[in-house]
Order: sequence, then C-alpha cells, then structure tokens
Amino acid sequence: MQGFIEQTLNGLTFAGLLFLLGSGFTLIFGLMRIVNLAHGGTYLVGGYVGYSTIALTHSFVLGLAAGAVAMAVFGVLLERGLLTRVRGMPFSELLLTMGVAFIMGDMALAIWGGDPLAIHMPGALDRSSRLGPLTYPNSRFVILGVAIAVAFLLSYLLGRTKIGAIIRAGVDDREMVSALGININRVFTVVFVLGTLLAGLAGVLGGSLLTLYPGGDSDILVFALVVVIIGGLGSLRGAIVGSLVAGLLDNYGQAYFPELAYFTLFAPMVVILLWRPQGLFGKSTV
Amino acid sequence: MSAVVRVLDRRPAWLRAAVALVLLAVAAVIPQLGSTFYVSLGLNFLIFGLLAMSLDLIGGYTGLVSLGQAAFLGVGAYGIAWGLKQGLSADASIGLALLAVVVTALVFGLAAVRVGGITFVILTLALGQIIWGLAYRWVSVSGGDNGLPISDRPGLGPIDLTDSAAYYYFVLVIFVICVLILRAIVNSPFGLTLRGIKDNEPRMRTLGYHVGLHKYLAFVIAAFFSGVAGVLFGFFNLYISPTAIDFGHNGTVVLMAVLGGLGTLWGPLLGSLVIVFLQQYLSIYVQRWVTVQGVIFVLVVLFAPDGLWGLLTRMGRWLTKRLGAPPGVEPCLAERSVVGTYEDDLA
Repeated sequence: MQGFIEQTLNGLTFAGLLFLLGSGFTLIFGLMRIVNLAHGGTYLVGGYVGYSTIALTHSFVLGLAAGAVAMAVFGVLLERGLLTRVRGMPFSELLLTMGVAFIMGDMALAIWGGDPLAIHMPGALDRSSRLGPLTYPNSRFVILGVAIAVAFLLSYLLGRTKIGAIIRAGVDDREMVSALGININRVFTVVFVLGTLLAGLAGVLGGSLLTLYPGGDSDILVFALVVVIIGGLGSLRGAIVGSLVAGLLDNYGQAYFPELAYFTLFAPMVVILLWRPQGLFGKSTV
Repeated sequence: MSAVVRVLDRRPAWLRAAVALVLLAVAAVIPQLGSTFYVSLGLNFLIFGLLAMSLDLIGGYTGLVSLGQAAFLGVGAYGIAWGLKQGLSADASIGLALLAVVVTALVFGLAAVRVGGITFVILTLALGQIIWGLAYRWVSVSGGDNGLPISDRPGLGPIDLTDSAAYYYFVLVIFVICVLILRAIVNSPFGLTLRGIKDNEPRMRTLGYHVGLHKYLAFVIAAFFSGVAGVLFGFFNLYISPTAIDFGHNGTVVLMAVLGGLGTLWGPLLGSLVIVFLQQYLSIYVQRWVTVQGVIFVLVVLFAPDGLWGLLTRMGRWLTKRLGAPPGVEPCLAERSVVGTYEDDLA
C-alpha cells in the first residue's frame, strides 16, 4: 500500500512536468496545426541553459527564468524565421521541426557533454519531508505546484482575456478569425512562444526530477505526444487529463510491469486513438 | 512526366537495361577494391536503400509517411537474434523473424490505416516507440540496452558468408530481387490504385475500391521489406540494440526518402546513398554528424520539397526546354510530374 501511494505521488508529480510540456504542445497544435517535434529539444536546451545559469549565479529562480526566456527567444526565431516559410504545409512543418530537433539535441551534446546533469533546488526544497510513513522529496511537490499554478494561469488567460478568446476562436476556425480582421500570424507567434517558454521552464524543473542527459529530448517528446494524443490536440483540459493519465500509467507500469513499461504507456494511447481519433477532449480530428 | 523520368521511361528497354547493368557492375566491383570500408559502405547503402524504398511504398505511393519504419527493421533483426539464441537453425530464425514482422505489421496496420495525414505520422511514431520500448525494457527477451548478439551468418549451401565480400554479394542479390518486386508492385494495378488513393481517396472510394484494404496491404508489404532489410542488417552487424531503432533512426529513414523524393522509388534509393555516404565519410572528419543531418533536413524542406529526384527531373525539364522537346511527347503528359510533393495528399 505504501508503495502504491508512493507510485501515485510519483505519477502525479511527473504528470505536473508533463502538463508544463504538453499544454504548450497542444496549444501550438490546436491553433497552428503544427506537430512541433522540436518541443523535446526545447525542453532539454532550456534545462541546460537553466543549469548553466544556476552554476553561474547560484540562483535557482534566475535559472528558471533564464531557461524559460532563452527558449521563448528561440521560439520567436524558429516561428518567425523558419516555420512561416512552410506555413500551411503540415508535413513540411513536421519535417522542419524534426530537423531542428536533430540539431538541438546534437548541439546540446556538443556544449554540455554526455554526462547526466542534475539541477538542485535551493535550501529546504532540495530535502525530503515525512508524510506519515513516507519520506518524499520536496522538489517533486514544487514541480506539481508550479504546474497547478500554470494551469490556473493558462485557464485564466484562455478563458478570461481577449487574447485567450482569440486563441480559442483560432483553434476552432482560424480562417474566420483572420477574416474578422485579426492578425492571426501575430497570434500564432504568441502561442508558439508561450509553448516554447513553458517547455524551457519544464526543462529546468525536469533537470531536478529526471536530470538532463543526451536523448532526454526525444524521451520527453514521446511523453508529450502521448499527453496530447490522449487528451486531444488543442484542448487545455485534455492536456491536464492526458498528463495525469500518462504520468500515472508510466509510473504504475514501471513499478509493476518493469519489462513492459513503455507498452503499458503506449497501448492505452493506441486504443484511445482508435476509439476517439480526436482524443478525449479534442474537438476536431487531426 | 518530366524529362529524366521520360528519358528513362520512354527509351527502349535495352537502354534502361544497360543503365541498370552499369549500376550493377559498379556495385559488383566494390568488394574487389580491396577495402573493407567500401564493403561496409556498400552493405549499409543496400540495406538502408531497401529500407527507404519500403518506406516509399507506404509513404510516397500511398501517401502515408511512417515515422516508425525502422521498427520493422528492428523486429527482423531481433527476430533472428532471438531465434538463434533459442538454438533454432539460421533458416528457422529467419522464418521466425519475417513471420514476426508480418504479424506485427498486421496488428499495427489495423490501427495505423484507420487514420491519415499527420495523425498517421504521430501514430506510427508511437507504434515505433512501442517496439523500441520493448527492445529497451523487455530485458529477458531483448537483452535491454546491451542488445543481442547474433552468433553467426548462415552458409548458403557451399558458400561461406562469414567473409564480408561474400556476404555483400549475397545482400546485393537479395536487394536486386526485392527492388524488382517493389518495382513490379508499384507498376501493377495494385500500385496504381495506391497512387490513386494518395491523389484522391474519396474518388477511389466512390469508384468502388476498397481503400482501407489497399492501405492495409501496402502497410504490411512495406513492413515485410523493412523486415527483410532488418534480417540483412542483423547478419551484417551480428548485433542488434535498441539504438538502431530509436527516434533518431526512424527520422533518418524518413530523411533518406524525403531527401531523395517520395513517390519515385529510385529517389529514396538515391537519398539513402547520399545519407549513408555522408554519414560514413563525414563522421570521420566531423564530430557533429547529427547536426549536419538536421541541417540537411531543414534545407530539403525549405528548398527542395520534392527531393533530389525532383531536382533532377526539374533540371531535365529545363534542359529539354532549352534543347527543344523531343518528338512524340504528348504535351499533357509532359506537364504532369510524377514527383508528387507530399503536401498534395496531406492537405
């Protein structure tokens, strides 16, 4: 029972990390129809930037900010510089982001080397707390807390603000939004940058949860894909449910069927995709 | 049809046969150069060329680009490794491996052909990751991260294949047979139906074609040839590990096909030649080969969306325009490119 509670906690906190990654991914897809395969690379490089900043300044908060801001800037460059050139061609967009993902992963290996790097949170956050019979690291709760805060911020942004209304309208019908005189391209950039910013933030947090290592980009990318496929592309609520399902499935799978761990994650996803190609909360099919 | 293709297609059969013979002669001479490097380069090219061509059958001709094609290579290679580990004979292991490939494709295909476009790409990526995940984690069967050794190459009657030159010739023969079959498939009524589905699926359905069944068969056939490439790959390296079928390698196969030009069969072959050549050569001088590969990806997408084969045909078209069109070519055919860009069917 104690093991089960611990696995559940692990699943929930991992789900927090997956939400930070998946929410941006799903918004980018929902609005722009871009499957951003560079999202994993953005996560990893964001994490590495955070690591170096922390090593330099000894400030975890600055590291978080640096990882997020650096990846936001990168997002502007990628979206404005490359993706606009192949706008409206989904397969070209996918291939382009795949090429960028290759470059990012390899450059990260060149700069930060092949050894796993761990980010440590400051002070008490790096220690563990006793929860009844259980000792559990505080840093994992921090990640879950950040994810919940971001979830509230995003749902406020999407549900209560003008730009949020425009984004939601764009997910439903971007031609119509554009016809109403709204500069949809600017909205695209905003959403894309929001996604890469969250991925960079997730990278710094993920550095403490999973460490940063070469190949970590494609590992986490696959999880992001699972999250959005389960939840439905373009849906924030779907991203929340998708991350919970993926996070819990992965941890139970690893704990109880270690040899089939990836199978327990992907098989349910395939079933969901067959049963509801648009995902649990998605409105339109891909 | 564009010029080069037209030249190759319209020229008398003897000319095409001559071109094929020259290429074959070049391929046959490679082991005689006396360098094991060239033999290994040639083997890599033949095996990945076959893999890229099998991807083209499903990606280029049917319009369903799979980001999990290397997984079938993995099933083939793991199949023989596992069979040999169980003490089966080499023939039985090969049979088992190909059976495993077909069964996997039959199961995966049920899911994959129900979706199209980008969803198909993501789904095959996920399916490929299932195979990768099993190879990585199912340690008791797959050896996990350490992979599985493949004990020995089987002899072929009296011929000893342990010598790498002999094995090269064996692979060359299998490769030529597979290419001839693939060519026959894409030129058959079945292949034309696939192209029809790619161009206009609703119309093919209205015409009474069983679209789903055609896609399903194309998926399984493509997987089978990838599996054959996997068996050849396994006996070439005498070793298989999860790295060979990870996300990056699935991407490389797509890069080969896209770089060459989807939907042309010869394009992906050309693409794999370029990538294998660059990979083996550049990795000697440049440490950052993967970055180079990523840059090629971006450049192809931006500047040559119909691939090298498309560039060649466009160059040929430009040349024929300069030199005046040869007689006997209907203008309507001359305008129609066989090199479909992949966006046509994904839009």
